[in-house]
Amino acid sequence: MEDASMIAAWIAPEREQTAAGEEEGFRRLYEATSRPLWGYLQHASGRPDVADDLLQETFCKFLLRKTPPMDEAESRSYLFRIATNLLHNRKRSRDDAAREEPAERGVQSDQDNRLDVQALMRHLKPRERELLWLAYVEGMSHAEIAAATGLGAMSIRILLYRARQKACEFLRPQRIKS
Amino acid sequence: MKPVSCEHESSIIRALHSGEWSSELRRHASECPDCSQALDLAEALGTVARRAEIGCNPPDPLWILQRSHRMAREIAMRRVTRLLAAMRVLAVVYIVAAALWLLRGYAATQYREVVSSMHGSSAGFALMGAMAAVVCVAAGLWPILRDRSEAS
Repeated sequence: MEDASMIAAWIAPEREQTAAGEEEGFRRLYEATSRPLWGYLQHASGRPDVADDLLQETFCKFLLRKTPPMDEAESRSYLFRIATNLLHNRKRSRDDAAREEPAERGVQSDQDNRLDVQALMRHLKPRERELLWLAYVEGMSHAEIAAATGLGAMSIRILLYRARQKACEFLRPQRIKS
Repeated sequence: MKPVSCEHESSIIRALHSGEWSSELRRHASECPDCSQALDLAEALGTVARRAEIGCNPPDPLWILQRSHRMAREIAMRRVTRLLAAMRVLAVVYIVAAALWLLRGYAATQYREVVSSMHGSSAGFALMGAMAAVVCVAAGLWPILRDRSEAS
């Protein structure tokens, strides 16, 4: 609660920021959102190095924004929107798909599950990865996903259903029970 | 018509994240094929997400903050530079036009006639030139003054 009010005070445009207050507010928002955002970027792009770059870019763009005041949930949603746009821009400007590699970041346990899901992520289209991640990992509603991806709220339901079916068909023989 | 997914799916996923399960929701999750499938997938993805986060080393937030300040300065600088470049082009055009006008006037009349003619129609041209110069200077200063007032 204290974190939320601190972040809300920081993101209000009429704030009287001291350098220390600005730093503290941003630090709390960053700590709350940077890891989930990195996970999203890494699994949507399939590359940890891309996730590292885009994470920095996302927060810089967020700090440079000129938008009305937002609460913590809105800030989080806005960050995912910026991240999704950056992913799409990058995809348009380069052919990352051809250079995708499995994400390996020094985690040893539950190897099977990890490898299955990594294989699944490579199997899915970028848009499907984004939808599944936002819905099932971030727990976003269809409206929030629509805001983050720029898709219509009505089409999210259908696209998400198709992506889930595709994912479950891929994982069914291995882990997911139908 | 078959719905594309169960209407309780969002509630199931919210319950998974919050840990707040009602007995009805838990029963529904175990009975509904759509919801149990979504739940299994969410759990599988969630496990991988949590493990990926352990391996994530985001940069220091202070560094991001400083980088954004640098970017803001660069953006402001680019904005001003673009305007200054446009002003420079306008200045060159103005100087060339003025030079051509003077050369033409010099070739057509004697020096004394040029000086005396400044009191006539040329005075109007000179005034317009001075006004154009004032407008150019004001346009050049405006973004700088605006950025300064935003910063304060």
